[in-house]
Amino acid sequence: MKKNILFAAVATTVFFVSCSKKDTTPVVVAPTVKTKSITVNFSQTSSFTFFSFRDTTVIANADSATAKWDFALRLTTFLVNSNASGPGNAGAILLDGVYSSISEAPVTGYAYDTTSSQRAIKDGSWYNYNPTTHSFVPKAGKVFMFRTADGHYAKMELLDVNYEPFVGPTPQRLVYRFQYTYQPNSSNKF
Amino acid sequence: MLTNLCACLSDNMRKILTITCFLTASFIAAAQDSSSFNKEQQLSEIVITATRSERKIGNVAVPVQVVSQKIIRQTGSLRLQEILQEQTGLVIVNSTLGSALNGYPNPFGQGVQLLGLDPAYTLILIDGEPLTGRNGGILKLGRLSTGNIKQVEIVKGPSSSLYGSEAMAGVINIITEAPQKENALVQVNHSTNNTWGTGLSYGNRFHKTGMQFFINRYASSGYDLDKTIYGKTADPFREWNGQLKITHDFSNKLQLLASARQFDSHQDNNYQIFWQSQPAVAKGYTTEKDQSGFVQLRWQMKSEQKLYGRLFYDRYRNNSFVDLDKTSTRFDETTFNQSILKPELQFESKHNENRYVAGLGSYFEMIEASRYAGKRKVTTLYAFTQKEWSLLHDKLTLIAGGRIDKRTDFSTKLSPRIAAAYKPNANWKFTASAGWGFKAPDFRHLYLNFYNSQIGYSLIGSKELATQLQLLQQQSLLQPGADISPYLNNTDLLPENSFGTHLGAKFTNQKWIVETGLFRNDIRNLIDRFSLPFARSNGQPVFSYHNIGKVFTQGAELDVKYRLSKYFTLSAGYQFLDAKDKDVVQEIKAGKLYKRDLTTFATTVVKPADYFGLFNRSRHTANAKIQYENTATGLTVYARAIYRGQFGFTDANGNNIADDPSEMVKSFWLINLAVTKTITKKFSVQAGTENLFNYTNPARMSNIAGRLFFLNASYSFVNKHSKSIN
Repeated sequence: MKKNILFAAVATTVFFVSCSKKDTTPVVVAPTVKTKSITVNFSQTSSFTFFSFRDTTVIANADSATAKWDFALRLTTFLVNSNASGPGNAGAILLDGVYSSISEAPVTGYAYDTTSSQRAIKDGSWYNYNPTTHSFVPKAGKVFMFRTADGHYAKMELLDVNYEPFVGPTPQRLVYRFQYTYQPNSSNKF
Repeated sequence: MLTNLCACLSDNMRKILTITCFLTASFIAAAQDSSSFNKEQQLSEIVITATRSERKIGNVAVPVQVVSQKIIRQTGSLRLQEILQEQTGLVIVNSTLGSALNGYPNPFGQGVQLLGLDPAYTLILIDGEPLTGRNGGILKLGRLSTGNIKQVEIVKGPSSSLYGSEAMAGVINIITEAPQKENALVQVNHSTNNTWGTGLSYGNRFHKTGMQFFINRYASSGYDLDKTIYGKTADPFREWNGQLKITHDFSNKLQLLASARQFDSHQDNNYQIFWQSQPAVAKGYTTEKDQSGFVQLRWQMKSEQKLYGRLFYDRYRNNSFVDLDKTSTRFDETTFNQSILKPELQFESKHNENRYVAGLGSYFEMIEASRYAGKRKVTTLYAFTQKEWSLLHDKLTLIAGGRIDKRTDFSTKLSPRIAAAYKPNANWKFTASAGWGFKAPDFRHLYLNFYNSQIGYSLIGSKELATQLQLLQQQSLLQPGADISPYLNNTDLLPENSFGTHLGAKFTNQKWIVETGLFRNDIRNLIDRFSLPFARSNGQPVFSYHNIGKVFTQGAELDVKYRLSKYFTLSAGYQFLDAKDKDVVQEIKAGKLYKRDLTTFATTVVKPADYFGLFNRSRHTANAKIQYENTATGLTVYARAIYRGQFGFTDANGNNIADDPSEMVKSFWLINLAVTKTITKKFSVQAGTENLFNYTNPARMSNIAGRLFFLNASYSFVNKHSKSIN
């Protein structure tokens, strides 16, 4: 609960910062600034969780073959809605940097899910696995730059990956918490 | 002025300063009628480890520390580990693997960190021969009993020039009692947690044959630091240690030494697991058995020339299992068998004060374990040589030496060392040494084939990688389309390398012994785990090992011993350590390493000052001891305070380095006290406490039991009139 309040606070702060930015540079449309938690399946035989930046929500499994979603997650595997994974035009670049100080998305250089084994976001590239606690700690300073399925720009940072409380030897679900900024118009500036 | 200064210092530093102030004040207040150290005795103590030949400690050019039998007995401790951690620069650390398993103790045990290097880099010897049974790089020191130890010699700095692989940080050689005179010891010890120790030692000489026998039993009911977790933190165990040494003089020139050693332990396993989504209790036990035999022939060829022929064999076995309590089905079982055969020849000569030592030998090692694919063997051939010159009327000693090692699966390794000691007068000694050290990849790095069935990841040794990946792919256990081709001709792991230097100064007079040292070690080709760029079909990573790391450790140490009065001796030691990963330092310099605030989740750049250094290393460690010895009344009091400064434990903020207070284990003190009273010449009783202030840290330092009290009774004698050798 406390954490949720904190998140709200962070989100609001970021929002206010963005607002003031809007005042000085009126050409930029206020981007969507969100902190979200999504639940992701642990088992590799279960379904992915699909997310849309524009709709700020998880997309139903039934729409997995559409361009409605931008990225999908299962355990630690990322899909982006392109080529082998979906009909969309989404791509990703993993940047090193401070999330808040990245104010512009690259226009080119996005990687796609070329094949089912050559994906835009390499598994293992963004977390440290701790074999003692079995936790996947997102590497600090990794910023996911997205071109969305419909050609807009977003930046995303993972804040926290935790197991949903579970009974038994194998976890069922993970909770991913992330913040993102989505630019609803065609601008690549945040 | 002093107050201002103190206010600027951290809490830890202030504590150290307070103690230093206290000690200094005590020195100043010292009575003038104090007697002196027996300086002759201090300098003529015989050590063997530093040069592989018997030398007076005062003449040795490399840093060497000795813990005597007298000190061991005065601590009242029955386990060597407790005594080692009281020595300056020796830190007892948990294995970095599995250091906190949900409130259960670390299965790998604890080892000695020397010069800031992990326990895997210190060679541990018993009477010059290796102790075996390293699990995850650590030799469980807890298994060594103190009852038959004559002295412990600690050589700091790369010693591969004489001892080969593993002696990268140094060597700890445990010298056990030899049958020189008739001696006997009977010990009974009882302490908290229903811990009982009994020891019996007897030695004698009959004409030309000597015999020394030792047996010890040690058992405990364990302890529980967290009652909310099922089972005890440390489960009950019992251990037996035995040793038999026989010497025989065929003539003045030819002497035989034969010894056999056995260690046997049984430890309960009792913990909670999940079975078919339900909590279940798993019970079983672990047995450990270490048996060794040693034969040495010593031939005094001429008065100044000796030849040793040695044969050492050791067999170590560790079997562990747990069954599900309700159904008695086997839940987990591991076996680990290791054996070593080591023949060796060594030649020693002395001409005036110039000495020469050389040797050659081989090392046959075999491992068969449930986590390795099949039986694995390696053979190492080695030769070493060392020359020692005495110059400037024995004021200057120079040493140059080196060793060559050829292991079947590696290219030839050369490890040179040079050292110098300068003694301008009877009070001062200055030393400088530099050496190369190495550690060959161990079996787990090469041959491990481990699949974690609970989580589903694989850890595969470098030599198994190609075969195992092919196998996994054939069985469709790898992610579809995984490109394994780069790993099919996997380049071999290289040995880890180090270069170390040490500068030292020692001052000795009637009342003082002050010793100080500066050290620096640079290590290349550190072997580390990495995850392959593809996963298993279950999405879990496949890990293997590669040579990646470059680290350095540097620091300073100070050891002071002061004879306050006829009865009181005070001593204090301190080590400053700076141990860092060079790549991390570079990354931070370039502003490329980030951290996540654990409450706001905001990312910022790591600043150089944030980096605490390698995990498990304390910047400050210290000890202070007060020894009271009254031979007239037979009363001895030995009080020790051991300080371990804060150290990094685990990453929490997403950058794999220690840079946040939440990632640290806070500094702590352990206070140990023992009082010994001699009732008759041969009979004495002892009472004391370990960890007086009851420091515990169940989550991160579960190896430290709370406060312990103990009572000892011992009967011992040495028949001074019996015939002695040499």
